[in-house]
Order: sequence, then C-alpha cells, then structure tokens
Amino acid sequence: MTRRIAVLLLAMLVLAGCTSSGPVAHDPGRVVLPVKQVPVPGRLYATKGRALYRFSGTDLTRLRFGPRVKDPAVTSAGDRIAVAQLQDQSSTIVVSDPNGQNRQILTPSSLAEGSLWALAPAFDDDGQPSSPQNLQPNDLGVWAYDLATGQTRRLVHPFAYTGGDSDPSYRPGVSDQLVYTTYLYGGAPLEPVARLTWMSLRTGATVYLSPDPGRNFEPALSRDGRFVAFIRGGAGGDDLCVMPLATTYTHELRPYPSDSAVLVQSGIVAQPVWAPDGSAIAFLKLVNGSFDLFILPIATDGAIHAAGAAQAVTHGSFLDADSRLAWSP
Amino acid sequence: MNHSPATGVPDAPGSRRVRWIALGAIALALALIGGVLIYLSPLLALLEPHEASVGRVAGAPGAPPPPLDSKQRINILLLGSDNDQKFQQDALLSQTMIVVSIDPSTHQVTMLSLPRDLWVEIPGHPSAKIDLAYAQGGAPLARATVEKAFKIPIHYYAWVGLNGLVRVVDRVGGVDLDVLHPVLDDNYPNDFSESGYGTERVYLAAGPQHLDGRHALQYVRSRHGDLLSDFGRSVRQQQLLLAIQQRVAGMDLVAALPTFARDLNGHVKTDLDLLRLTQLALFMRDLHPGDVHQAYISAYVRDATSSDGQQILVADWPAIHAYLRQLFGGDLLP
Repeated sequence: MTRRIAVLLLAMLVLAGCTSSGPVAHDPGRVVLPVKQVPVPGRLYATKGRALYRFSGTDLTRLRFGPRVKDPAVTSAGDRIAVAQLQDQSSTIVVSDPNGQNRQILTPSSLAEGSLWALAPAFDDDGQPSSPQNLQPNDLGVWAYDLATGQTRRLVHPFAYTGGDSDPSYRPGVSDQLVYTTYLYGGAPLEPVARLTWMSLRTGATVYLSPDPGRNFEPALSRDGRFVAFIRGGAGGDDLCVMPLATTYTHELRPYPSDSAVLVQSGIVAQPVWAPDGSAIAFLKLVNGSFDLFILPIATDGAIHAAGAAQAVTHGSFLDADSRLAWSP
Repeated sequence: MNHSPATGVPDAPGSRRVRWIALGAIALALALIGGVLIYLSPLLALLEPHEASVGRVAGAPGAPPPPLDSKQRINILLLGSDNDQKFQQDALLSQTMIVVSIDPSTHQVTMLSLPRDLWVEIPGHPSAKIDLAYAQGGAPLARATVEKAFKIPIHYYAWVGLNGLVRVVDRVGGVDLDVLHPVLDDNYPNDFSESGYGTERVYLAAGPQHLDGRHALQYVRSRHGDLLSDFGRSVRQQQLLLAIQQRVAGMDLVAALPTFARDLNGHVKTDLDLLRLTQLALFMRDLHPGDVHQAYISAYVRDATSSDGQQILVADWPAIHAYLRQLFGGDLLP
C-alpha cells in the first residue's frame, strides 16, 4: 500500500510538471468568425455539423435545408443549389432555390437493388445536376439527371470494388467535358490510388491526368474552364495544387499534367473551390485541430500563382472537411 | 485556559500558535493526499492487476522490464477486439495486433502491425491464426505467441475493446486524418445494436476530415470495401493511432487523465502500472510526426489455405526476421 501511494504521488508530481504543448481546439458547436472579418465576395457555401451555411460579405446565414446535409453545389447563376441529404444508411440529392425553398428530391433513397448513396452533386452550364451514386456494393458511379424530364443516365461505370468515382465537375463553357476523381488500387505492393480523370461526355473517352500510384483528388474547375485546382495527398500533408487544362485530351500525357501543377497552399487542405471571377480559391485547412475556411487570392496572368496570403474566413469552427464547398456570384 | 497535558503548565501563546500551525499543516497535507487519491482513483481502478504478470519477458524470467526513462527499447503489444455482448468476454479474438516499439535513446517509435490471419505456432496449442492466441490464453498467450514467432520481447500489453476506442477518440475531441480511400461497406457489423448482430451500410468520403469515435471505428474496422483487406485495415489502424497521438500532444494531461481513466474502465486491460502509463503519456505527447515509423510485414507473407480450409497467411520467417533485425537491431530475442 505504501509503495502504491508513493507511486501515485510520484506520478502526480510528474503530471503536475507537464503542460500542454499546444492548444487543442474544441468544437464550439457554431461557426466562429474572426474579430477582423474577411468579406466574402458572392455567396460561399459550406457545412458544419451537417448543417448548411452561406457566407456573403460579412454575413453568415444558416440555411434551413433539412437535417444532415453535405456537398453543396450551386449553378453558375446562383439560382439553384443542390445538396446530398443524409439519412441513416443512404442519401438523396435535393435541389432548391438558394434559400432552401422549393425543394425537389432528385434521387430515391432506395431502389429494387437496395439502398442508395447519392453524393457530391454538380451542375453543368445548363443547370442540370449530376452526382456519384452507389447502386452496387462498394462502387460509386457518376450519374446525370435531367431536371425537366426526370430521366437519369449513367455517365461513368466504375471499376468494381475499387472505390469508384467521385467529385464530378463539369467544365464550364464546353458542357461536354467532365473532370472527376477515380479511386483505384495501384503500385507494388498495392496501395490506395486516386487519379484525376478527364472525360468527354460526347464520346465517352476518359484520360487520366495524374499518375498511378499517387493520390490526386477533389478537382475543382475555374469558372472559365482553364484551370483545375485539386488536392495532392502525400506523407507530409494534403496540399492544394493548380494546373492548366488543355482544350481536349486524346491520350495520357507523359509527364502527367498534374506533375507540373503548381503548389499554391501546403498543409492539411481540402475541398478547393474557385471564386466565380477566378480571382481566388476557397478551401478548408486544418489549424489546431479545426478545419476552417480560407480564401487564397490567385493570379492567372502568366504563370499561375498565389497572389497573397490565405485569409481565414472562420476561426476554430470545425467545418465539415468531407463536404464540398460551393461558390456563386 | 489551555494546559499542556504532560505538565499541567499553561501553554504559552507562542506554543499554541505553533500547535495550530502544525494542525493546519497536517489538515492541509491530508486534504492534498485526499485530493490526489480522488484525482487518481479512476486510474487506480483502471490499472487493477490483470491477467498478464507485470513486465514478464520471455527469455529473461524474473527480469524486470526496463523503465521508459532508460535508454533501453520498450515493446508494448496493443490488442484490439470485438467486445460487445455477442462474444464471451474471455474468448475474444484479437482483431488488431500492433507492436509499439519505443526507443528512448533515439526518441523514435515504430508501429509494427501483425496480420490477424497469420498462421503461427501458438505455445501449448496447435498452430492457428495468430488472432486465436488471445482467445485461447488471453494476453499471456498472445504475448508468448508474438515473442516465439517474431522474437520480439514484449514488455507490456494493452488491450482495448471497441467501446474503449470510441471513447478514447471522443474524449480527445475526435481525430483528424486523411481517409485514404472511400469506405463503402454494405456489411459493416452493427456492434452497437441491441443484439450486437446485424450489419449496416457505411460510407466515408476520401480525403482529410475530422472523425468522431464512431466514425473513426468504422474507418479502422471496415474491410469489405477494401481490396487490400486486412493490410489496408492495418494501415488505417496505424493512421488512427498517429491521429490520437497528435491530439494528445496538445492536451492538458493533468486535467484529462482521470477522465480518460473513468471512460476506459472496463474497456481496457493493461499491465502498465501508473507510473509507466504516465511516463508513456508524456513520451507520446512530446513525439513529432517524424519520430513515428509505420512498419508492416505484408511483403513477407502470402495467401494460403490451411488443412482445415481456412484462408490464412503464411510467413517467410527468415525474411521477416531479417526485416525485424533492420527495425530493432540487436533488441530481438535469441
């Protein structure tokens, strides 16, 4: 007993001598704006705790969009917004006006084949949405919807049991090109791979823009269609890179276009999205245990590069880093 | 008027003051000790003696394990199991086996995952998958099996159940990690249902994100959607350990440790005593990401079928031992 108490006291002394090596943020349960607010041009959408928020100027609005949503997408005109609405073991795509009114459910939560995951919607230039869906076990494939007719069609057939395809982005201005992430396994020994994939919706041809092995994902196209921002995963972090897109692709290029991409932000970064005028990229960055919203000014005159330091729109807000951002005028 | 009980002579005012000061000091000391005991009582409950004898090392009977503040390598066997009501508590398979090797002289840590389907000799039992050792003989047999097969001296062990892992992650405020691949599992075991049986559909997007305990468990436990199967799961398990370590690195351990202990009581078994657990927490807190190395033996095993029809992994033991010599130098058993 004496020895135990002695050990207890010693342990207490050791503990008392220690202090934390750095602050750990705790989720405050709300979005926190810094004292010196960064005004957001246009309307920037993000989710926290599966609730949808809109940043505009210095205003912050929580949109009543039903419980548990993620992956907002918005039309180029900003007149429609789509989200994935999560249920217990499935999800559906819901489209509405920018205030969350006049909602239309696009996808069922289940079909004869079983329950359905539908995620990460994206609009084309005509305001028609597409999204990755899961109809078979362990596959996500990209599907398109016609809002007028309600018809759906499969755009991408995933490789079975490899993770499937996600994060679709229509190329603005041409409407027949899609860029998305293909999840695979590659290398020796096998390891998870994520490849940026370009697709011609006219011919169905696909071309990889990034190598195997490697993890390049979450592509986001600039509003003029000239550049794609994406996340490059690595051992030290997940960095934000930008590369130009060719007019079209007929075959895989060596070196891959992603090899010469420019690093514009390092750290643990996720979910890039371009400002409507192409002058900035918003993204989520991990700071002291919290994913917060940042805006990085970008210059595209000559070689693309960051035109200044990233500015924090939120502070210690624990935004959902697995949910896409959307930005409209 | 107060009198000295011994002499009957009235106390001088100065003497009374000394006595009151002494009484006050004793009361303060008792209150401090009481406070310490109250503070540490959850830790005491957590660290009640368990099945494996403290610090027993194969090949060195009776030799105490080196302290964490020495220059000698310390190896801790981490075990993880299903522990919901559908399993007998004394017959759990170890679904996770990771040797955490701490080298205090270089301030480096190596995490070595042992695949659960690896076919090994289990001392005193027929050869079987390595995950059966814990079910058949608890931590002592799991320890002996690892020591015999891998020649790694195991100084301590720590077993964590599913609920324990969820609570740890929630207690540190969740973890931040890069989900390497989408997790799409239509047959994920629903451990937290009333019966403990059944399955549920799970989806986790790829990429950096913050995970709470439940989703962190889904990430490290799912294997139906991962082509890499158990090896992929080993990578994810080590990712989670690193993420927990990084959260702990920013925590106030004085405030957090008793709450941790209360949360984990019943969900953790270990033969680490309080002092060593404290030393370990402090050591972990001061680690930098580059100090932790992840190791796997996937290159040295191959798929096979056992004589009773089980899908197993068989090892190239000479290659594994050569690999371990690279990792651990001369700190292996003969």
